[in-house]
Amino acid sequence: MNPILKIEHVSKTYTGHKALDDVSLEIPQGSIYGLLGPNGAGKTTLIRVVNRITIPDSGRVVFDGRDISIDDIFHIGYMPEERGLYKKMRVGDQAMFFARLKGLDWLEAEKRLHQWFDRLEISDWWNKKIDDLSKGMAQKIQFICTVVHEPKLLIFDEPFSGFDPINADLLKREILRLRDNGATVIFSTHNMESVEEICDDITLINKSRNILSGSVDEIRRKAGGNTFQILFDNMERPIADILEGKAECIGESEGIIGGYTQQKIHISSDEDIHHVIAALNDNCRLRSFQEIIPGMNDIFIRAVNGTL
Amino acid sequence: MGNKIGIIISREVRERVRKKSFIITTLLMPVLMIGLSAAPALMMMHNTSDVKHIVVVDDTEGQFVGRGLTSDSNVEFQILENMDRKDAVAAFSDENKAYGILWIGHDIMEQHDQVQLISNSSSSMSVEEDISRQLSDILRTAKLRSYEIENLEQIISESDIHISLNTMKNNGSGEEGDMQQTSTVASMLLSMLLGMLLYMFILLYGQQVLSTVIEEKQSRVLDVMVTSCSPFDLMMGKILGIACVAAIQIVIWAVLVGTASQLLVPLIPMEAVQDAGSEFAVVTSTFGNLSFILTIFLWLLLYIVGGFLLYAALYAAAGSSVDSTQDAQQFNSIILVPIIIGLIVMMSVYNDPSSKLAFWCSMIPFTSPIVMMARIPFDVPLWQIVTSLVVLYASFVLLTWIAAKIYRIGIFMHGGKPTWRELGRWLRMK
Repeated sequence: MNPILKIEHVSKTYTGHKALDDVSLEIPQGSIYGLLGPNGAGKTTLIRVVNRITIPDSGRVVFDGRDISIDDIFHIGYMPEERGLYKKMRVGDQAMFFARLKGLDWLEAEKRLHQWFDRLEISDWWNKKIDDLSKGMAQKIQFICTVVHEPKLLIFDEPFSGFDPINADLLKREILRLRDNGATVIFSTHNMESVEEICDDITLINKSRNILSGSVDEIRRKAGGNTFQILFDNMERPIADILEGKAECIGESEGIIGGYTQQKIHISSDEDIHHVIAALNDNCRLRSFQEIIPGMNDIFIRAVNGTL
Repeated sequence: MGNKIGIIISREVRERVRKKSFIITTLLMPVLMIGLSAAPALMMMHNTSDVKHIVVVDDTEGQFVGRGLTSDSNVEFQILENMDRKDAVAAFSDENKAYGILWIGHDIMEQHDQVQLISNSSSSMSVEEDISRQLSDILRTAKLRSYEIENLEQIISESDIHISLNTMKNNGSGEEGDMQQTSTVASMLLSMLLGMLLYMFILLYGQQVLSTVIEEKQSRVLDVMVTSCSPFDLMMGKILGIACVAAIQIVIWAVLVGTASQLLVPLIPMEAVQDAGSEFAVVTSTFGNLSFILTIFLWLLLYIVGGFLLYAALYAAAGSSVDSTQDAQQFNSIILVPIIIGLIVMMSVYNDPSSKLAFWCSMIPFTSPIVMMARIPFDVPLWQIVTSLVVLYASFVLLTWIAAKIYRIGIFMHGGKPTWRELGRWLRMK
């Protein structure tokens, strides 16, 4: 499938500070794409480049097969990290204003907004002022304002910050639903749990550079490095001898759970796992054999520290 | 894109009109205006201060000056016989006995400073004026009499001539009826009034344009706005929005003042109404025919709107280049300089409406609204009016475009100063 958005060798320097350094990535159509990275890594700058709020010093941004132009911006829904709503304005007026700016006519805007307000269970906020809402409440409004015109590409900068777990869950469900309806979603986040749950692909930016890109499953599997956890008893020989030439133990045999011994092993990538399992089976009672797939949190820390 | 401007205008108008401050100023301003205009009349009516009792020591022969003084509802004169100034001052040193002692020297006909009012309490301007006026009249009459010329007073009053010059526009027909009557005084008054009005509007609403342009920057709505509409739409929407708010406010004021003055007229003493009425009659009669006024008024309206929009765009440009309202304050006085120059030139226009200075200042958009308004009553060629209007409105659009560019560049700059190369790229960008 053609990527909806291609970023090619984009660099951006602010006075004395390189915010983006030759960053390239491709965002597949219909995916949920996570933009990860420590604070100040350049995620927001990248998002601002895509939105044409700022322009890069070099590099291209290709949207839907063409160089991105100002008209494309209106096909993008953007929710900035620093939420931008008119504080003194009523919620309903505000939502109507943004919906109509994005090209919906009055009736259509009103219809869709009421649907969204009902779905997020905030219909009774219509006449309140933004000033009177909590941060999380205002964020729901901002979310609706971002998605109401059903753009092809949605960009959320830190969408889950400020949400309680229940509302964060609600938001995740809505993001998945938008993806299922055909939208492509990019979001930046520190929340690795949400990345595992909903992202199809990610890019990890550190110190202005793209240091890791790919599908979440692949990245996790790769980061696991063919490490397995085994549980056994009645071992006839030392495990290191049994695995000789096929796999190596990582650390000592650990704690005994219900009489079982636990051991982490690394199987080299050219070795057939079946041979390892067969060898173990011949010499002990194997109770469990499980691949260790590291969490995104772990991968994030290791990638940023350069130990992945 | 035009639709987006409309959406921004309607937001601007709705939000502003709903504000408490708008409602308060809209309701309070007419009260203030009516209060200010009616106050003198009402004060006159309700002026119930006590009659001021003044004793007069007149040293002139036969006390003819003192006897000429007439008492009225405010001041009462009492002439003291056989008492000199010193005794009178001693005898009437109490405020309850007399408001003051008026001493008139015997040589007052020759030495006009031979008169004193020795007051027991704080002096009153109106009493002093009243006494001075009466004394001058008495002495003037006495002086005229001393020439012993028959009917001299009548001669003098008859030779006091006021000419009322009717200026006609020569249309070559020679028929008086066909010629259009122009009136310099009335037109001058009208254009001066509108010039001042324009200045006032700009003062009142310019600040609002400044703050509304800064609004998004302060609340970070900016990022959402620049990804939703072009900066030009945003600027144009905001400027026109404020203009609509101004128009709404002015219409409400006009209606309120109109109805209120209808209700208040009966409360104002008849004399005051008659005075004002006769002055008004003079002004309206000199206007000449109604269609002339209407044509002028239509042109003036175009200028007042154009001038307002142009200056609003200037304020928008100023607002675009700063991040906070405090930073914007410094622009306030600078922006007003050209319009003040316009007001100064306007005064000279009345002496010579077709001078070079008047011509050029009525073409330059920053002064043209005011200067051309002053020239129009003096029959300016149509091409000049049309040219200057086109220049004015085109400048407004151009300035708005520049304001939008400045706004956009300000956003790009977020995080650092731009290089010249970058500035060039941004300017070329759509």
